Amino acid sequence: MSAPLPHILPVLAQASSNAALITFLIYTLAVFGLAAASNILLRKKSFLSEYFLGSRSLGVWAFALTFAATSSSGGSFTGFPSKIYTHGWVLALWIGSYMVVPICTMGLLGKRLNQIARISGSITVPDVIRDRFLSAKLGLLAVSLIVFFMSFNLVAQFKAGSLILQTLLNGVEPFSKSAVWFGQQIQGIGFLENSLGPEYLLCLFTFGLAVIIYTTYGGFRAVVWTDVMQGVVMVVGVLILLPLAISQVGGMDNATRQMAEMSPPRRGRATLLLAESERPAQHVVPMGTWVTVPNPDGNRPQLLRVITTTVIPPEQNRAEDVAVLEIVTPGDIDTVLSRVKAGHEQLDDQLSVVDIAHEPYEYGTEPDRKGVYVTGPGPSPSSQHGFLPLSLAISFFFMWAISGSGQPSNMVRLMAFKDSTTLRRAIFTVAIYYTMIYFPLVLIFCCARVLMPGMEAESDRIMPAMARFLTENIGWGWLAGLLVAAPFAAVMSTVDSFLLMISSALVRDIYQRNINPEASERIIKRLSYLFTLLVGSAAMLGAVNPPDFLQDIIVYTGSGLAASFLGPMVFALYWPRVNTAGAMSGMIAGFTAHLSMYFTGMFVNGSFFRPYRFMNFDPIIVGLVVSFTMVVVVTKLTPPPSEKLVRKFFCKSK
Amino acid sequence: MSSSPLLDETGHQVEYDPVFLHAHREAIIIFSVWVLALLWAVPYCYLNGYTSDFDVQRDTMLGIPSWVLWGVAVPWLLADIFTVWFCFFYMADDDLGEAHEGADIEEEIAELHAAPQAAGEKGAEA
Repeated sequence: MSAPLPHILPVLAQASSNAALITFLIYTLAVFGLAAASNILLRKKSFLSEYFLGSRSLGVWAFALTFAATSSSGGSFTGFPSKIYTHGWVLALWIGSYMVVPICTMGLLGKRLNQIARISGSITVPDVIRDRFLSAKLGLLAVSLIVFFMSFNLVAQFKAGSLILQTLLNGVEPFSKSAVWFGQQIQGIGFLENSLGPEYLLCLFTFGLAVIIYTTYGGFRAVVWTDVMQGVVMVVGVLILLPLAISQVGGMDNATRQMAEMSPPRRGRATLLLAESERPAQHVVPMGTWVTVPNPDGNRPQLLRVITTTVIPPEQNRAEDVAVLEIVTPGDIDTVLSRVKAGHEQLDDQLSVVDIAHEPYEYGTEPDRKGVYVTGPGPSPSSQHGFLPLSLAISFFFMWAISGSGQPSNMVRLMAFKDSTTLRRAIFTVAIYYTMIYFPLVLIFCCARVLMPGMEAESDRIMPAMARFLTENIGWGWLAGLLVAAPFAAVMSTVDSFLLMISSALVRDIYQRNINPEASERIIKRLSYLFTLLVGSAAMLGAVNPPDFLQDIIVYTGSGLAASFLGPMVFALYWPRVNTAGAMSGMIAGFTAHLSMYFTGMFVNGSFFRPYRFMNFDPIIVGLVVSFTMVVVVTKLTPPPSEKLVRKFFCKSK
Repeated sequence: MSSSPLLDETGHQVEYDPVFLHAHREAIIIFSVWVLALLWAVPYCYLNGYTSDFDVQRDTMLGIPSWVLWGVAVPWLLADIFTVWFCFFYMADDDLGEAHEGADIEEEIAELHAAPQAAGEKGAEA
C-alpha cells in the first residue's frame, strides 16, 4: 500500500464513534425521562383523549415540532442527502414544493378538522370519518386502510432506524464486541440467523425496544415531547453542518464551479490482479479501497474504487468480476489522490486492474453533455430521461404538499392543537423550520460532492460520513456524534407516531366503537398499553428479516394513504352535500387506482415497486384524480345527507 | 356549499358556522398559493435550468445556479413572507369550541340501549 492508514486515523474515528455511543445513550435516557414525565400527566387526565391525543392541548412549539418531526422521516437525512449527492442541484427543484408544504399540510385542513373532532369528540382519524358521516362501515374501512398501510410502513421504518443506528455505532468497540457476543448467542436460531447480521439485529432490538417502551408508557404526549427534542436535534445538526461545509469547500462559488466540470462516475466490473511479490495467506481488499491504473502518457492515472469487500484467496493472484466505480473527473481524481497522500483514504498499490467492463449511466455520461450536476434533469444510472424529467417535477409538487395533507399521521396532529392562535403561529414556525432544514441540506450535500468524491456506491451513508469528515477536519470529531443523531431522531419520531396510530385504530376504532362501547376506562387503559406493546413487538419481529425496497415501501404506503384519505376528508370538511356513498367510493377508488398502477407496473416493468406511470406521472396523481372525481360523481348521484347531520357540522351552534 | 338554504327544526333558515366559512376561504387561498408556486417554480426551472449550455460565470449567482436561485430559493423566501402575512394578518382567530369528549361513544351507548327497548315495546304491542 502506498499510503497505509496512519495511526491517527483510527484514533480520530474512535473518538467520534465513542462520541456517537455517548450521544446515543444520553439521547435514549432523555427519551425515557420524557416518557416518565408524560405518564405522570396521563394519570391526571381522561385516559383515551390524553393517551392518543394529548387532551387536545398542544401549544405552539409542541404542535409545530411534532408536526415537523413526524413529517421528516429518516428519508430526510439518509435518502435525500444521498439523492443530492448522486444527482446534484436538480434536487432543489425536487424538494422545491416544501416552500408551501407547511401552509398546505397544516392550513388546508387544520382548523376545520380540529373543530369537527371537537364537535364529535373524535380521537382518531377513523373516528372523525365515522362521526362526520354517521357510518360505522365507513369508519371500519378507514381503520382497515390505516392498519394495512401503516403496518407495512412501520416494518420499513424499523429497518431504517436499525440501519441508521448501525451506521452510527459502526466502529465503536463496545458495540462491535456486543455484536460478536450476540452473534454467538443466536447461532442455531434459524429465524434470527437468516437476518442481516448480528450488528443489524442488535441495533433493531435496541432501537425497537426503546421506541416501544417509551411510546407504550408515555402515549401521545411522550411522543410529542420526544418529537420536540428530536426536532431541535435535527435543526441544530443542519445549522452546524452548513457553515462547516461551505467554508471547507472554499465557498459555494467554488462548489458549483467544480460541480459544473463533473461527469458521473462509471460503474462496472473488473478483474483485480495482485502483484507477483505479494502472495500472503489471503489478500483482503476492504470496501472503499482505491486502486489506480497508470496512464501510459504519464498524466493522471485511472482511478477506481472497489465497492464490495473482496478476498483474493491464498495461492491466487486475481479476483474476477469485482464491482468497481471509476472516477473520471480530473478534479475529483486530484482530490482523492491528495486525500490518499494525507492518509484520509485507503489506496492499495499492490493491486492493478484489468478487463474493466463499464455499465454507463443511462443519462449524463454522453460526451456532448456538460454540467449535468448543475442543470436538470440530473444524471441517472437507470433512466434515459434523467433523474427528474418535467412530469416527475410536477408529480413531486403534488407529492410533498398535497399528498402530505392527506397523511393520517399529520391529520391526528391537526386534531391535537389547543386553539386557532396556536395553529397560526405553528404554521409560521414550521415554515421557518423547513426553510432552515431543506434548502441548507441541498447546499451541504452539493459541497459533499466536491469534498468527498466516489461515494456513489454507498451514498446512503453520506450524511454520517460527511459529518465525520467536516468535524474531524477542524479537530472536533466528538461533534459528529451529535450530528449523526439527527437522522436517528428523524426516524424515531416517525416510528413512534405510526405505532400509536395503529394501536389507537385497534383499541378505539375496533374494540371500543364496534365491540364494547361500554368498556370501562380501566379496560381501555390496559388494552391501549397491551396493543401498543403488541403492535410494536410484531413490527420489530417483522423487521428481523425485513423486505428489500425500503424506500419504495415507504413511498408506496405514503402515497397510498393520501390517495385513499385526502379526497374524502377534504369533502367531509368543506362540502355539506357530500354523503357516505360518495366518501366511501372516493376512498375505495383512490386506493384501487393507486394500487392498480403498481400492479400494472409488475407486468409492464417487471416489479411491483416500479409502478406504471400514466403519461409519466407518479401513481399518486392518478389516485388523487380518481378519488376526488368519484366522491363528486357518486355524491351527486345519491341522496343528500340528513339536514341534522349537516347542521351539526356546518352550522352555527345556538 | 349546498345551494338550497338549510332550515332548523322550526323551519327557520340557519346560518353557516363562521369557522367553516373562514376555513373554507382560507383553504381556497392556500390552494391558490400552491398552484402559483407550482406554476412559477417548475416552468421557470424547466425553461432555464434544463439545458446543456450552462456557463458558470454567466449562470451562477451567489454560488448558486441562477435557475435554482430564481426558480426555487427566491420563491421560497417569498412563500415564507406570504406565510407570515397569512398567519399574522389574514387568518381568522376562530373559537374552535369545547371538545365534547366521549360524545360519540355516549350516543352509541344510548342507541345500543334504545334498540332493545324499542324491540321490547314492539313485542309488547304485538
